[in-house]
Amino acid sequence: MKKLYFTITIALMAITLNAQVDRSVTPQPGPAPEINLNDPERFELPNGLKVLVVENHKLPRVSIQLTLDNPPVAEGDKAGVSILTGSLLGNGSKTISKDDFNEEVDFLGARINFGFQSAFASSLSKYFPRILELMADAAINPNFTQEEFDKEKAKLITALKSEEKDVSAIASRVQNALAYGVNHPNGEFATEETVNNVTMADIERFYRELFVPTNAYLVVIGDVKIDEVKELVSKNFDDWVKASPPSLGYSDPLDVQYTQINFVDVPNAVQSEVTVENLVNLKMKDEDYLSAKITNFILGGASVSRLEQNLREDKAFTYYSRSRLGDNKYGATTFKAFTSVRNIVTDSAIVELLREIDKIITDPISEEELEIAKSVYVGSFVLALEKPSTIARYALNIETEGLPADFYKTYLERINAITVEDVQKAAQKYFQIKNARIVVAGKGSDVIESLEKIPFNGRMLPVNYYDKYAKAVEKPKYDIVLPEGVNVQSVLDAYFEAIGGKTAVDKIQSLKLVYEGSAMGSSIKTEEKRTADKYVQTTFMNDAPMMGVIAKGDELFMKQGGNKVPLPPEMQQDMKSTIGIFPEQGIALSNKAKLTGTEDVDGKAAYKIEVPGSTVKATYFYDVESGLKVKEATVITMNGQSQNQEVNYKDYQEVDGIKFPSVRVGSMGPQMIETKLLEAVINVEVSEEDFN
Amino acid sequence: MKRYFYMSLLAFIAFVAVTAQEVEYEEYDLDNGLHVILHQDNTAPVITTAVMYHVGGKDRTEGRTGFAHFFEHLLFEGTENIETGSWREIVSSRGGIFNANTSQDRTYYYVILPSNNLQLGLWMESERMLHPIIDQKGVDTQQEVVKEEKRLRVDNSPYGQLLTVLGKSLFKVHPYKDPNIGYMEDLDAATLEDVIAYNKKYYVPNNAVLIVAGDIDITETKKMVSDYFADIPRGEDVVRNYPKETPITAEEEVTTYDPNIQIPLGGIAYRIPGFRDRDAYVLNMISTYLSDGKSSKLYKKIVDEQKQGLQVGAINLDQEDYGMYLVYALPVGETSLDVLVSEMEEEISKVRSELISENDYQKLQNKFENNFVSSNSSIEGITNSLARNYLLYGDTELINKEIDIYRSITREEIQAVANKYLNTNQRVILNYLPKENIDN
Repeated sequence: MKKLYFTITIALMAITLNAQVDRSVTPQPGPAPEINLNDPERFELPNGLKVLVVENHKLPRVSIQLTLDNPPVAEGDKAGVSILTGSLLGNGSKTISKDDFNEEVDFLGARINFGFQSAFASSLSKYFPRILELMADAAINPNFTQEEFDKEKAKLITALKSEEKDVSAIASRVQNALAYGVNHPNGEFATEETVNNVTMADIERFYRELFVPTNAYLVVIGDVKIDEVKELVSKNFDDWVKASPPSLGYSDPLDVQYTQINFVDVPNAVQSEVTVENLVNLKMKDEDYLSAKITNFILGGASVSRLEQNLREDKAFTYYSRSRLGDNKYGATTFKAFTSVRNIVTDSAIVELLREIDKIITDPISEEELEIAKSVYVGSFVLALEKPSTIARYALNIETEGLPADFYKTYLERINAITVEDVQKAAQKYFQIKNARIVVAGKGSDVIESLEKIPFNGRMLPVNYYDKYAKAVEKPKYDIVLPEGVNVQSVLDAYFEAIGGKTAVDKIQSLKLVYEGSAMGSSIKTEEKRTADKYVQTTFMNDAPMMGVIAKGDELFMKQGGNKVPLPPEMQQDMKSTIGIFPEQGIALSNKAKLTGTEDVDGKAAYKIEVPGSTVKATYFYDVESGLKVKEATVITMNGQSQNQEVNYKDYQEVDGIKFPSVRVGSMGPQMIETKLLEAVINVEVSEEDFN
Repeated sequence: MKRYFYMSLLAFIAFVAVTAQEVEYEEYDLDNGLHVILHQDNTAPVITTAVMYHVGGKDRTEGRTGFAHFFEHLLFEGTENIETGSWREIVSSRGGIFNANTSQDRTYYYVILPSNNLQLGLWMESERMLHPIIDQKGVDTQQEVVKEEKRLRVDNSPYGQLLTVLGKSLFKVHPYKDPNIGYMEDLDAATLEDVIAYNKKYYVPNNAVLIVAGDIDITETKKMVSDYFADIPRGEDVVRNYPKETPITAEEEVTTYDPNIQIPLGGIAYRIPGFRDRDAYVLNMISTYLSDGKSSKLYKKIVDEQKQGLQVGAINLDQEDYGMYLVYALPVGETSLDVLVSEMEEEISKVRSELISENDYQKLQNKFENNFVSSNSSIEGITNSLARNYLLYGDTELINKEIDIYRSITREEIQAVANKYLNTNQRVILNYLPKENIDN
């Protein structure tokens, strides 16, 4: 059928040559473009430095990249020595002062930057000889001085301080420290203490041992001629003394025995950083390297991937959610699935991340998903050809990762050969749902409670607590500093006083409240009737009753159309304490309510009263200044699923001597719905009918 | 040795003309007012299609801030022929990548594809311009996504509120006073009717430019552009008449707190002319003079020699109607912000009172030449420059001529411009401080 339609379209196009294009048909791709992969020029110096040259004369500029492909080293109680060495490199040479060096590089409009195992320079090609000379001189004959050392140390300590509250910096530090252990090169981190342990002699030793040419690669790209490069590189790098770096082994880190949450309290966080991680062993030269990468792509490699479709497009929990599968020729690396979400949905985000990981392990992916993933890989391969640096990067990978020489020439072929089974195998091999760490950095006072109630494989996920430096700690306690005499009763009294006085409130026999707003193009109306021991709430959509909740005596049920659906007895028990003309009357009578502190609501401090329950947990917020209720947050947990609801109350207005909020802003799924007070009737006539 | 080197170098520069390759392009208008620019480069089998709309954060009414950015999200939802939610999938399934970004002045959408998918790129952009689907569901979802983006990029991010504070401090009546991403309550308040009206007003061919660049055939591309874009109806002319600011004539001081930082930031901010003004180019040169590179005045003094600053910078946050010019530093150790401000002012005052040296002037020229060559180094960069130069600067040819403007700026002009805009009575002192003692 589809085919037939297509032929007709083509026929029509042929007849009416100048007719407009048919917009309803997605344009098909033309013939695949031709791909040319050239090899860069290559030569090697006697000291072991390997040089790759890509000539590209489109623009009069050149870039020079020096990379030392050395095995990782742990810095131990001197962590930070590598960062400091990197900062001290590029400050001139034994014969050029720092100021002269910087002045000259700037004057040429060029750039030279150093890392502790790398250097990079770029300039207009007319300055290539001089920039190469300056870079080589600074690399081989570094100018380490005590003065610069002291200064860089002070700067590094200040920088470390500046990260103390940075949620994402804290999160990534703890993720790595827990995954690899703090004694592993990938898990250790610099602190003020370790940086203070570093001496000038450490820098010199570190440089001497590691900044050597055996594993060094120099990549020159741009408007240069190979003969010129050969001559200049030899001239400038021949003095670099041949030596190999030390090779040290580290014990392999292990995954946790069972899946667990590792929580780090960051009180200033307005979002939680959530990462599910496990260790993997994957190298570029592994047979299943490409299928492993494709698998990760389908899970969370890009915005079209499952994680972002679920957590962003479907649930609107977050701006992004991704996963990353590392590869490392030296040993352990990690798989991470991560997101940043607003505090209140932290637990739900964990559930969704785990669900997606489990799903890709358990169920075969669809052919369509695989096709899209392959297209993306093919596309990004083609798109990368635009950059001259790609050819150099490919050549460098072939050398450093021990890949077959035709790795990139057969790349597209191998991508296209990946099957659904290959993907499932890779998911099973590289993603560990049963031995995963879920590292969460967030605001403990907001999220801890819900984190302790996440069911997983038939029990709650255990939660372990860590400080910002990955040290195990006790579960944090949130000390409540409240003014003397403030307690549940006083907050509720102040509330009653604020809305019209206890005497006036006590006189009310019944109450009807109607709020109206719109959502998804329909009008939404809620009508609430309350007496001292009965409660009914009906929601209307476009004036048709959609759903009702009724509570009276020991009954609690939902009404949909003509049907009554009883709700579980635990819920009925939980709801009991909120029955009354005002829920506060029920709260005052129950002994379950607790004043748990203060929290900002819309920028103003509010007292927080929590009413715990087995299925319904409610938290009420009362403005410290006015006494008025400003927010209600409810968490309903049923069948292992939690649902959060929030309602904010605004702009109180008086009706018959009692103040009611004229605006309610509530969450309905990911949406916020604002409703306005339409009607408030005190001592309205109610009959038994109303509660059936 | 050293001296000899410099002298020969200067001579060398004087005689060698810049050899930056000319960027060739062709431009024309469709009848509906859409401006089209084509740039052919067949080096790699890749094309970029991009549309820049002349609508940004400043184009809004009071109480509806952040609309342009919100719209950027909405316009990825779907069109009459592109099923809602399938935008990403379609581009990805052809191996392409896409993105968009919104400033206070313009919104930019682009897609990069293997070159056998040119028609697809044009189809998608024309669909977005002709008949995007804007419904309540999309509005609801994207409202939440944008709010999360704000939490991530602004509220939870160190120094994330800096731009917001600058806007608020330098503008009283012009829409630049409000953040580009908008206020939460305004985002919540957006109704479907607002959104549809906004689309009709700004997302019209006569308020946009289309760029097609890369591995294309010019004749074929022109035909395709006409096929997909010619029938899009022209919209009303967009009229902008935003209130003018009265000049700042007395120093102001603003203090703000950020819970996500540990190290304060001290800043001196000025309101300067919009980016089309020649003076804005001169101010770019002053930024480079003050803080670009390790031998720049502020870096060398504050970070390197006196060790008072962890970081220092002078930036022209350029915008269409007015720019925001910020000179800032982060202190090391116990250095107070007052000290940093007076150290920064000392260097700024030198630019006002003395001519910069010949050597520094030549250094500036070399830096701008290098930047100019680098800015045309990728098709993506060229595409963006072509769009911006036409739509916002009103001169496409700037892509090849911008360097001439910098070349024509003299040392005297640098001094004059500093005296015109960077005086102490025209500045806002910014104390951007860590917020301590949060609850629990």
